[in-house]
Amino acid sequence: MLEARAFEPEFLRKLDRLVLGIKRARTVRAGQRALGRIQGLGIEPENFKQYAPGDDLRFLDWNAFARFDELMLRTYRADRQVEVTALVDASASMGLPERDDKLGLALAIGASLAYIGMADNDAVRIGAFAMHRGAMKLDATPFHRRRESYLNFRPFVMSVKAGGETRLGAAVDQLLLQRRPAGTVVVISDFLVNEGDAADALKRLVAARHDVKVVHVMGEQESTAAYPSGLFRVRDVETGEVRETVLGPSTAAAIRRKVEKIAARMREICTTHAITYAQAFGAGNLESIMERELPRLGLVR
Amino acid sequence: MGLLNPQNFIYALSLALLILIYLRSRSRPTVEVSSLMLFDEAPAPVASVRHVRIDPLFWLEMATLTALTLAIAGLYVMRPRTPGHGRIHALVFDLGAGMSARDRSGTRLDQARRDAIEIINQAPPGDEFSVIAYALEADARHPQTANRADLRNALGDLVPMAVPARTAALQAALIRARGASEIDLFADRPPAAAILADAARVARLNFHQVGSGDSNLAIVSLDPGIPRSTQGRAVIRNFSARSHLCELAIDLGNSEQFHQTLMLAPREQVVVPFGPLKTGGVLHARILTPDAIDADNDRYAYAPSEQAAHVLVLSPDAAVRDDIARVLLAVNANFQIETADPAGYLARAGASGASAKPLELAVMHDCYVPAAGAASTLLIYPPEPAKNSPYASPIGIFVNGTLVSADIRSDAIGQAPAIESLTLGATRIVALPEWMDLIATASGPAHSSIPLAAIGRAAGGPVGVLAFDVRDHLLLAPDHLDALVLTVDLIKQLTAPRDILIVPTGADVSVPATATARVTQPDASVRTVTADKWGRVRIRPLQAGRYTVASGGQTIQVFANYYDAAESDLGAKPQAEAKAPAEKAAASNAQSAGEVQPLVFILIALALLAMTIESALLIGHAGRWGMRHV
Repeated sequence: MLEARAFEPEFLRKLDRLVLGIKRARTVRAGQRALGRIQGLGIEPENFKQYAPGDDLRFLDWNAFARFDELMLRTYRADRQVEVTALVDASASMGLPERDDKLGLALAIGASLAYIGMADNDAVRIGAFAMHRGAMKLDATPFHRRRESYLNFRPFVMSVKAGGETRLGAAVDQLLLQRRPAGTVVVISDFLVNEGDAADALKRLVAARHDVKVVHVMGEQESTAAYPSGLFRVRDVETGEVRETVLGPSTAAAIRRKVEKIAARMREICTTHAITYAQAFGAGNLESIMERELPRLGLVR
Repeated sequence: MGLLNPQNFIYALSLALLILIYLRSRSRPTVEVSSLMLFDEAPAPVASVRHVRIDPLFWLEMATLTALTLAIAGLYVMRPRTPGHGRIHALVFDLGAGMSARDRSGTRLDQARRDAIEIINQAPPGDEFSVIAYALEADARHPQTANRADLRNALGDLVPMAVPARTAALQAALIRARGASEIDLFADRPPAAAILADAARVARLNFHQVGSGDSNLAIVSLDPGIPRSTQGRAVIRNFSARSHLCELAIDLGNSEQFHQTLMLAPREQVVVPFGPLKTGGVLHARILTPDAIDADNDRYAYAPSEQAAHVLVLSPDAAVRDDIARVLLAVNANFQIETADPAGYLARAGASGASAKPLELAVMHDCYVPAAGAASTLLIYPPEPAKNSPYASPIGIFVNGTLVSADIRSDAIGQAPAIESLTLGATRIVALPEWMDLIATASGPAHSSIPLAAIGRAAGGPVGVLAFDVRDHLLLAPDHLDALVLTVDLIKQLTAPRDILIVPTGADVSVPATATARVTQPDASVRTVTADKWGRVRIRPLQAGRYTVASGGQTIQVFANYYDAAESDLGAKPQAEAKAPAEKAAASNAQSAGEVQPLVFILIALALLAMTIESALLIGHAGRWGMRHV
């Protein structure tokens, strides 16, 4: 399984030089989303401001007062950690086609991003969601901050199995109910769901001031429609719906067009909401995705 | 090109099965996909696609099954015959009376002989031929040989017989020909399709139909009537599809009694009365008009003597004596009949010694009186030896019991009249001596076959036996005419002169002889026959006409009559079922110039090649798509 690759030392060594592309804001500007907007007792100077009654006199810059005869207050950036959540779609659709190992690819990407996130000692966790017996089941690991504890993710990652229906909206609802501070949420899914559901879920994450990143996962066979030719009955693994179709060159072309449409639509949604969108098509491309594709898109640096 | 075993082509049904399996499997495979959303824009399946679009695997399997089916069905091609290949041929000839029919170029047998000689001449030097003939039974006339001179001699010795060709004999002849690779059958009419098909399973069969004309007249029957009493009758039949002149002459001894020329309508049968004759003797009817078959243009009958003959009827039942006397008078009105109760006759005979009058015939019902001293004896319902009676047992005839009822069987032996199944009353179970010939049999409870009527020549004269009881006016009952016919037939045979026998051709005739006998046949050929331990010789007349058996200074004449409605009808159309194989066989004649080359090995090789290609495709398929999609 591909997810085991994310815990191989050789693979991890390649990730050592990468960091997550997180926007850590120093000021709060209207209309701009930022992390760490609260001033605090940090050690990194950020700016100066005019003294106002009530300000903490401990931050008065006496040198500036001596030079300019004005009471200036030195501000510091709050030294805050960012919570990073890799949210992996574990619905049944992620299990097919089997040879594509989409779920393995998604878990490997999620674990890799977690490892990268630990470079800044950010609090990182991995979650997996799918509908189970009519209810949303969102499982997540505890937050870990240091790379020494990275291997704690392994049991969880290796235990995730594909099954159930995809309900991105329900998963986001459950995540927001945890009332965690705004952080970075990386949603890794094939997004074979209703367009409205996906757009609405991402929108609500953004509204909760999370820095949202999307990794669109597809299998190689699935995206290229490399099926054997002939008359087949195809069954939706999530809904059970059956349809007869003739698999062949024309059908493959239609499927490829549909995949492109879905990807384009997701890109459009993400662009609209200033969400970073990245494609990860094909399990065989894990390393190139991590080393080249995600940095190119700014997901990691 | 053809099929050696066309019935095996039924294996082609496997192709239909393959198509069914394929169509069913095509509609079945289900592939689970992550989401049907991906197939939203896929074209909908078209109904015709499901049935027409067939993949290479299917065609390879079709090719494999087709090749195997054709191999099982024996597909062959004809190739030019290679010299010295050494094939075996069987030449089978019909020697029935129909083959003696004359056409413009001789008899039908002559034509068949010419065709056979042509086949022999065209055959490569290594080929061997055997000659088989059939009529009443099959006979191998010459064993398999490559000597052409011997074969021509054997063909030249073939002579048509005055008997109908039996189907069983044809089957036996074809069985004898089974060692051959090719059978050439020469006959004047096509046999049943099933017979040809059966023979064609083991060898290549070529049927040669010979003859075309249908002009034939025949004397169906000749009844001399009773001299000085009743008219005789001759029945003449025209088998031609056109009107035919018939010049008919009837001779009694050396004097012509009747001569007339008739015009017979197409396929007409007429009754020609003549007489009554003035005296008895051998009556000979002849058709003088030339026609196709000679054998049925002559017929003999014996007119009983007009002189009085004494007949004794013995029976413990007065009504039976009366019935038998009536039957005897009907057979010959000149009979002088004496009836008696056997007990009273014995007492009278004991008192007065031997009867003063020489008896022509003694008919004994439920009794046996050896002292009767008749020239011939008819035993009806012979008495049981266990019975405490004063009579001695009939010589050589043993009664083993009595059945309450018995059914006459239609498989009468010899030339007894055609008998339908008929239930009789009490019937004796008799054991016959070897010198008696069985005429009819019966079946009863726990007995499948018991003798019912028989005749033979003992030292004291001819003896006839009827096993059934004739009480209760059985002989005069209209529902038991067959019993009456059997009785009349036996009486006629017993009262016929000793030196004259009139029989149908093909019948076994037993003639008294001492040591050896010279038999002169109608064609004037002579052969010598040795008598058996019963002092008789058996001959089987296969030609119509007069046979003479001379032995010990005594000469017996045997007149053989031939008539068979089916064989004499030369214009009879072949049966519909027989026409097809005839045409098929004729078609095969055109191919007989070549040699059959089976394609079994080539077809099996093609099947193996197709299966190999299919296996390679399947392996590639499995490698590409996984085993689930194979």
